[in-house]
Amino acid sequence: MSVIVPIVHVVDDDASFLTAISRLLRANGFSVKTYASAHEFLAQRDADAPGCVLADLRMPQMNGLDLQSALAQTPNPLPILFLTGHGDIPSSVRAMRDGAEDFLEKRAPKEKLIDAVTRALARDSRERGERDRQRELRARFDVLTDRELEVLSHVVQGQLNKQIAWDLGIHERTVKLHRTAITSKLKVQSVAELTRLTEEAGIFPEIVRTFPKGQ
Amino acid sequence: MSLITIIWSMSASASLTLAGINFLVWFQNRKAWANLLFSLLATGTAAWAFCELWMMRAGTPAEFATVLKWGHVAVWVLILSLVGFVRLYLKAGRPWLAWTVCGLRTLLLLLNFLVGQNLNYLEITRLRHMRLLGESVAIAEGVPNPLILLGQLNLVILIVFLGDATVTTWRRGDRYRALTVGGSIVFFVLVSTGQSLLAFYGIVRVPYVATVSFMALVAVMGYELSSETIRASELGRKLQKSEAGLYEIEERMRLAVEGADFGIWIRDLKRNEIWATDKWRALFGFPQTERLELDHILQRLHPDDRDAFHAVLEKATEGDGSYEAEYRVVLPSGALRWIGSRGRVEFDGAGKPILARGVSHDITGRKEAEQETQNLRQEIAHVGRVSMMGQLASALAHEINQPLGAILRNAEAAELFLEDKSPDLEEVRAILADIRKDDQRAGNVIDRMRGLLKRQNLDKRPVDVNELVGEVAALVRSEAATRHVKLELAVANNLPPVLGDLVHLQQVLLNLIVNGMDALDEANRGDRRVSVTAALDGPGTVEIAVSDSGRGVPADKLRHIFDPFFTSKAHGMGMGLPISRTIVEAHNGRLWTENRNEGGAAFRFTLPIAEKDPTT
Repeated sequence: MSVIVPIVHVVDDDASFLTAISRLLRANGFSVKTYASAHEFLAQRDADAPGCVLADLRMPQMNGLDLQSALAQTPNPLPILFLTGHGDIPSSVRAMRDGAEDFLEKRAPKEKLIDAVTRALARDSRERGERDRQRELRARFDVLTDRELEVLSHVVQGQLNKQIAWDLGIHERTVKLHRTAITSKLKVQSVAELTRLTEEAGIFPEIVRTFPKGQ
Repeated sequence: MSLITIIWSMSASASLTLAGINFLVWFQNRKAWANLLFSLLATGTAAWAFCELWMMRAGTPAEFATVLKWGHVAVWVLILSLVGFVRLYLKAGRPWLAWTVCGLRTLLLLLNFLVGQNLNYLEITRLRHMRLLGESVAIAEGVPNPLILLGQLNLVILIVFLGDATVTTWRRGDRYRALTVGGSIVFFVLVSTGQSLLAFYGIVRVPYVATVSFMALVAVMGYELSSETIRASELGRKLQKSEAGLYEIEERMRLAVEGADFGIWIRDLKRNEIWATDKWRALFGFPQTERLELDHILQRLHPDDRDAFHAVLEKATEGDGSYEAEYRVVLPSGALRWIGSRGRVEFDGAGKPILARGVSHDITGRKEAEQETQNLRQEIAHVGRVSMMGQLASALAHEINQPLGAILRNAEAAELFLEDKSPDLEEVRAILADIRKDDQRAGNVIDRMRGLLKRQNLDKRPVDVNELVGEVAALVRSEAATRHVKLELAVANNLPPVLGDLVHLQQVLLNLIVNGMDALDEANRGDRRVSVTAALDGPGTVEIAVSDSGRGVPADKLRHIFDPFFTSKAHGMGMGLPISRTIVEAHNGRLWTENRNEGGAAFRFTLPIAEKDPTT
């Protein structure tokens, strides 16, 4: 897999602090890239590259929380750490609820900072692995035709062939043929295995979801 | 038997019967004096009828004279009881006339026995006989007693008295009684008197037949009295019936009043006595039997509310009589209770207040809620004032944290670089330059803030120190109370106003007082004191000091206490004192601290006196 070194992206409008913190992180062995604004970071980032974001909460134009939500829209959202001169509770609550890795004061102890960055990178690597696996699984479904996907969506809901045929307006024997094609293409042995695979790949998020998202 | 005998004896017996009945009525109800007097009147009538009959049948002049003499006793009884009856029953007639009639009649009765054969005749010389109702009756002839003129005068006064009483009754509006009782009495007395006079002077040759008039009188009065008795018993029955209804209404009323938690009171302003329900007594903490006067209530009133209460009462008697008041009552247990009262003063015909009545109820709950709202409002005002400084401090903290954060991270990085075997000294040198630069930046932030306060935000005017201290004290009083801190103020008299920005100076004072209270968190509750003093400090300067009874500032911290971000409090920002000092210095004053010999810290600051405006 990828051997690219993860990068700590530091976003802060204060140039002096930006320089200082990047020095400290580099001295601790991290690869660091600095940006003077959130826009600059979003424009320059390599969408696939691993890493994490260390952003000032208070910035002109686009602040830390805005950056967090913009990042969440991308296919590879990086874990985000917030820095602030003076922490305020409502922002930190919102940031943490939206999945921020941590919330640090600018003058937080060095160890706490390093720990937080390390943890954020580990989380990125873990989430990246999960995402890669899911993409791989999903690629296996690419060989299915649209009709086969349609049949599959009914199968994983536990419907019998008769019901599926009725719903789709096709003959029951045709349904059986589609099912055989699906199992052979995906190389699965049973309906149970098929259901689990579909779920892991997240093919039908709106149907197969068995528990609320985001828990 | 002759007709005369029948009429006269029947009159006598009828009178006696009525006398007996009315005597019994009086005997049962000793207050019914009218009945007793009527009974006497009827007895007198009966006795006189007996005398008249005897006189008509008299055989000798001496017998006639003796009977007439004793007949005057009956007349005496008759007249006195008649006067008494009229006074009692009609409640009219001039007393002096009544007394004159009675006194003169009594005197005449005495003279009747002392002078001549009787009041009428010095001597009866012979009896003449005449026929009346087919029978021979005796009429006297002889030497008239001159005293009889007094007797006639007496009768005239009696008629005047009766006439006067009748007219008064008529005017009073009681026309029925004036006609039936007063009118008939006057009429029959006139008739009997006239008849007696005519008979006496021999103008009409008839015997004394006053019995007939008297009998008519007795009949009219007897009828009146018995209908009165019948009416009374009727009323009694009705009363009994309605009493049951009244009790029911009273019970409902009591239920409603107690359900609404109202206490009812009525004050008799003439006797200065107060009647009140048990609920009302409970509200004010009075026992159920104690006699109550206004003074008792005033004593229960909270001293601060007494004047206001008086004012309300006075206003009520001047205006339309209604009033409303809310006041505190100190119960015997020492507890406070808020009472709401509504009442009305009632006046007599002359506009004099005679009675006040009203309801009172417990409004402690409502008052407490109001108090709480008030406290809350003060708290909000307080937070507003404090947060003004807090906002400034927060903005400042952010500004200053940037360079400080950079310095910290740079220093940490430099340390790591230097740990290297062959450290990159160029890098370290660059770091040190950055640190110097950031330090400069932090300094600039503080300078900028100072400049900000100095340049534009100060609106300097003459400020009354008493007002300044008073307003801030009012602001922190509720917080001081909740933290059990006693706030003592001692502002010297006649301090000249100082020159400054009231709002900024309030911030400084507020900050120092709150600091003082913070220093007392660990002190015993009884020993928590913050005192604010203000006095002249040499010419042209006022010194204000905020002292607390805490432990004082530790010696090692004394030097740094005014440094930004230096704080000894868990959640302190370390900005209060530096800002305060900045403000005071912007006012050309000084702010410093010292530990007091008697313990605790004192923060003192000076302010210049406002120059007297030459135009005023």
